[in-house]
Amino acid sequence: MKKIKNLFKNEASRKILLFFNENPNCIDTAKGISLWIGWDINIIQKALNQLVKEGIITSHQTASTAAYAYTNNKEIVKKIEKWIKNMV
Amino acid sequence: MNESEKREKQEFLIKFSKSGSIAAFRKLCSKVLKKSRCEFLDAEYRPIKSSSECNHLKLGKNLAKLKFSPSREYMIFKCSCNKICLSFPIIQGSSVYGHVLFIHLDREPKKTAIDATKICMDLALKEFQKEQELNKLYETIRPRAIALSTIHTIHRLLSSTLNMDELIERIARLTLQVMRSRYCSIMLLDESKKYLIPKAVISLDKEILKVSPQYKKIRLGVKLEGRVARTCKAVLSRNSVCVPLVEEDIIGVISARDKTNDEPFDKFELEILITLAEQAVIAVKNAQMYEEQEKMAYASIKTLAALLDAKSPNTFTHSDKFVQMVLAIAEEMKLSREDIVNLHYSALLPDTGKFSIPDEILKKPGILSSGEYDIIKKQHLESLKIIEHLEFLKPAMPIIRHHHEKYDGTGYPSGLKGSQIPIGARVMAVANAFEAMISVRPYKGRKISVSQAIKEIEKNKGTQFDPEAVEAFIKVAKKPEFENILGASA
Repeated sequence: MKKIKNLFKNEASRKILLFFNENPNCIDTAKGISLWIGWDINIIQKALNQLVKEGIITSHQTASTAAYAYTNNKEIVKKIEKWIKNMV
Repeated sequence: MNESEKREKQEFLIKFSKSGSIAAFRKLCSKVLKKSRCEFLDAEYRPIKSSSECNHLKLGKNLAKLKFSPSREYMIFKCSCNKICLSFPIIQGSSVYGHVLFIHLDREPKKTAIDATKICMDLALKEFQKEQELNKLYETIRPRAIALSTIHTIHRLLSSTLNMDELIERIARLTLQVMRSRYCSIMLLDESKKYLIPKAVISLDKEILKVSPQYKKIRLGVKLEGRVARTCKAVLSRNSVCVPLVEEDIIGVISARDKTNDEPFDKFELEILITLAEQAVIAVKNAQMYEEQEKMAYASIKTLAALLDAKSPNTFTHSDKFVQMVLAIAEEMKLSREDIVNLHYSALLPDTGKFSIPDEILKKPGILSSGEYDIIKKQHLESLKIIEHLEFLKPAMPIIRHHHEKYDGTGYPSGLKGSQIPIGARVMAVANAFEAMISVRPYKGRKISVSQAIKEIEKNKGTQFDPEAVEAFIKVAKKPEFENILGASA
């Protein structure tokens, strides 16, 4: 996994991480997430793909739907929480 | 005024004093009431917690000493350092929440300045109320809307499969995700309706998905899951939440344990799991119905195959090894589940097309004449009419119809070539030829060895057979399980 610091440099990734940190129970499509965040779906989709690669976002795929959710990894979640607190 | 009312008013004042609307108000007032400073006092003229420390705020005490009753009108007075002060009440509904105080005024403000300040004050208050309402919506409606969207997404994910094993695993994974739990289990009632059988157990720590023997069945009324199944009532405790899967009757339970952040489960999460269970139960029922339909279709095809076999054994049907080989090649090619099911049906009735071919041609030893071959091609399509009315066989018909086509277009009945031939038919053509080569047939007389037959298939790759199907067949042939396929009953 990339350093969290680097992930937070990308604004779309940062928005996604903030969103999932606030709504950890959420499972949604890229379209849904882009709507909640208020960003362009293509940028959000690209950032989501990157975060899935990094293991921070989990992808649930079927033939017709791809949905995204926050990682269940306690350590990663803690690190992200810490980063967000420091941002504020 | 009781303590909670006091606290509520205090919080309101603190938020108001920090709001964006009050920042604009301060700017405006600094122009109207020159050199003034603006402070916030509570209803009893005490400085609110967030106010800056200022000696002049001692005047709050002075005001209290002056025994001003909480006024609904503005007031002008002098503070302890003999400077002019102007106070406006902050009114919400029928009660005074506090006061905005302008201190350090050089002289008594004119009536027009006071009126302008009052208008600004009312606007700032209205703006703040709007902000508050929006915040409230954000805090209450948004999480609900996100939860609703989550449930909708779950519905889409669950309704995209009718395969029971896949579905149950998916429900378990999604439950673990949504509940942020370390453990999730899905149990369904057995036929006797006395026991719950674990169908999927997933643990974040061990990532167990297959139900292992350590997960035993549970009698109704025993343990948390058994009690929930018996009472049909969801149970929420600090570390676990268990919900019944109910349609008209109970069909099972779904439970989650131990949150990843070690916090207790709450009512909101219980509500989410209940809604998820409602979606899950519909999906499980659909999958059960589909399984039943599949069983009925399979039984009908087997019956038809047995009837055809009774007329002429091994003429219209093939051996078990043929069926297994067809399925093994299809799995190797990673065909979709739907394609594999259709291929399975087709493999049970591959040669129904021979039904109206005269026996003297079917059982003729040696090579067929061109006239006899023409009869086979013509009768192949005619014979298929006996099964074309079976609705569940319709998707399999193109496979049965075209499995005698050759990849280079020289086969029958339609002379299709390459990708024009249905993928299932291309798979079946390979297995059909292989089985024919390693079996004794009345018209053939002798059989060849397995390795020779594999070489023969490979030799015809790209001409008679689809190269991709041949590659998959060769991979299957190299697997240890291939021996079992060859050993299957003839």
